[in-house]
Amino acid sequence: MITLAGVHYSYPDAEDEVLKGIDLEVDAGQVVGIVGASGAGKTTLAKTIAGFIPHSEGGDLAGSVEVDGIQVPQAELADVVSRVGMVTQNPFNQISGARYTVREEIAFGLENLGVERTEMADRVAAILALLGIEELAGRSPYELSGGQMQLVAIASMMVMSPRALVMDEPTSQLDPSGSRLVFDVMQSLAQDGTAVVVFEHKLELLRETASVVHVLADGVIARSGPAREVLSDPRTDEWGIGTTRFTRAARAAVAQKLLPASTELPVSLADATGVFS
Amino acid sequence: MSTLYLDRPSPVHRLNPITKLIGVVAIILLVFALPYWWAPLAILVLIVTPAALLARVGGRLLIVGGAILVPLLIVVAIGQGFFNAQGETVLFALGPFEFKLEGLLFAAAVGGRTAVLVTAAMLLLLTTHPGKLLAALTQNGMPPKMAYVISSTLQMLPTFRARADSILLAQRSRGLKTRGNPFRRFAVLVPLISPLVLGVFVDVDERSTAMEARAFGSTGKRTALEVVPDPLAEKIGRWIVILLAVGALVLGFAGFYPNLEWP
Amino acid sequence: MIDIAITDLVFTYPSGVTALNGVTLAIPAGQRLAIVGQNGAGKTTLVRHLNGIFQPTEGRVEIGDWDTKGRDIAELAARVGYVFQNPDEQLFARDIRDEIAFGPKNLGVPKEEIEQRVTAALARAGLEGKEDTHPYHLSLSERKRVALASVLAMETPIVVLDEPTTGQDARGVALIGQVVGEIAAEGRTVIAITHDMDFCAENFDRVLVMAGGRVIADGTAEQAFAQLDALAEAHVEPPQLERLRTALGWPAPVSTVDEFVAQLKSRR
Repeated sequence: MITLAGVHYSYPDAEDEVLKGIDLEVDAGQVVGIVGASGAGKTTLAKTIAGFIPHSEGGDLAGSVEVDGIQVPQAELADVVSRVGMVTQNPFNQISGARYTVREEIAFGLENLGVERTEMADRVAAILALLGIEELAGRSPYELSGGQMQLVAIASMMVMSPRALVMDEPTSQLDPSGSRLVFDVMQSLAQDGTAVVVFEHKLELLRETASVVHVLADGVIARSGPAREVLSDPRTDEWGIGTTRFTRAARAAVAQKLLPASTELPVSLADATGVFS
Repeated sequence: MSTLYLDRPSPVHRLNPITKLIGVVAIILLVFALPYWWAPLAILVLIVTPAALLARVGGRLLIVGGAILVPLLIVVAIGQGFFNAQGETVLFALGPFEFKLEGLLFAAAVGGRTAVLVTAAMLLLLTTHPGKLLAALTQNGMPPKMAYVISSTLQMLPTFRARADSILLAQRSRGLKTRGNPFRRFAVLVPLISPLVLGVFVDVDERSTAMEARAFGSTGKRTALEVVPDPLAEKIGRWIVILLAVGALVLGFAGFYPNLEWP
Repeated sequence: MIDIAITDLVFTYPSGVTALNGVTLAIPAGQRLAIVGQNGAGKTTLVRHLNGIFQPTEGRVEIGDWDTKGRDIAELAARVGYVFQNPDEQLFARDIRDEIAFGPKNLGVPKEEIEQRVTAALARAGLEGKEDTHPYHLSLSERKRVALASVLAMETPIVVLDEPTTGQDARGVALIGQVVGEIAAEGRTVIAITHDMDFCAENFDRVLVMAGGRVIADGTAEQAFAQLDALAEAHVEPPQLERLRTALGWPAPVSTVDEFVAQLKSRR
């Protein structure tokens, strides 16, 4: 669904490349996590997949960015946004400000595309149901909690039926319950066939949700693989992505020979319970 | 939301916002066209008051309208009473200043019209959700981008105010003294305004990206999820009101009305 | 050495909503105190009483021998430094040096000393080499650390941090944990609101759990995170090691990896 090959990018008037040769593959129905320290190029990569680079930002982009069969850099932005949606950190700035109920807010994109009224109502209702937020339909978008607002932002993207969704640190401004809501929704979108790419710091949630994780370090993919394997790699601290306490505890236990050296290191609570009991 | 809107189940609320908007404009034209001293009073008593009561917003109209009108009317009455050049009949004197009847009557005429203008406009805002007003305007040909600018500004004002408050608190927490002489107060402005302005730039930038992702730049025909109902009876009513107001204006220009002493 | 005493604090907003429902709390100088709880539990309202942003509706807040009643925020700033959650609501200067010098300048610190303080604060917040950068050319995590440095340079006996780790990567979180330890080692008090329970368990002496405008658990991290009923009421998930320890059915609480491994050893 998403294929990046040999992607290099530098911002306008900047000498240094931010992306230095990225290859990436995401299938339909898959949640792929991308982790990396601040400054590794995560937001740049997110915007590249979603087409804002180069369409809005300009700069020098080389290589191939293909989403749902089209070449993103060469396509019209309107064609891009109907194939890939993007959700960003700050839910507040994703609310249009032009609509007074959640239902109308979610319909905003469809209105802009001129979708017929009854079809629009059906699609809004369907997405509200898929995300389990029917009870928010009549509320004002500005009266929602951060987590609820983020779900509305996701719904506003998904109602346009993109085949792929890019989430750039969608939980960084949310509390733990809001974060879990967003990750649960990601899972149900993937089960529905969407290709989801999530840029995230919360390793435990990633381990529970993403099938594959890539580590972005200084503009290149430093490591790729199954979430548990990558997130318990000994180099996670070097990459600046941290380690869960489950991993650290198991690593310490291995060092003190309390666990066998062959132990598959845990990342989530479920992994760890398996390892230690 | 910083609006005056009060949600009530009333026929006035249910009217199409365009009907209400045209009604308000027509009323204002009428009071300025008709040179009779009783015209503003008649409109206040026969149209504005019953509509406000029917809409169950009378109390709020009295409070908000009063807050604007009372000080204004007092200033106009004092200014005109003492200083109107046409004044002859002295009612009373304060030292060298004489308060004259003609000035007071002029003030009453101006004040009456202003009162109609303010209360009618207020009634529109009290009974019309801004979103519904903008939706109706867009459905009647207003460019969607213009509607977007107006409604997003309206919705963002409270946020903007809250952010200004937070910035002030953050700087005072770093020891910034906001009390003192005018020079000090001026120096205080930079640490307050700079984050506010930069914050708006960041927001606008992020928001425009988000809106692009939702096809806001699309140039094709747009649709609306919620269509504001516009029954035939209202359309006819609107034309009658427009004809009445225009008729009153035309008669005025044609010199139909007697030359009264009221301005 | 300045102790904090909060006595029967009640706070009701002008709208009539009561955000604090009788909080009594003594915070000795040099303590590292973390406050956890759901949004709306009253955490921010509580800490905003310390520097006079809010004045008690009932009860008293004393910062050493100063009752906050009637004292201006700018005056209390000499004793209580407050780092707000959103750095973009305070950064205004053209470069970071000026930004960090702003607080000490307001407090009337002599010029030469301001320079030393700015240098020290930059180093502490991991921002060396960025002195001349415009704050808006930094990432959010760096801007947050500039805001932290701007308060550290005020060298107040009490430092309040409102969600210091949000938007930080693992290195940023580790650095902030280190700053918390350094401040406390100097005998200064650190009070932090946080949603990051692992950060909380590893860097603080004492944890307050708040819900509905009250303190519903108060103690060391081990004690507070062992009160599962209180945590459930506050909608707070215990730190990772505590969840693991509970899932394994071990009776004694743990807050660090070393403690966990020690328990594991004693059980084998």
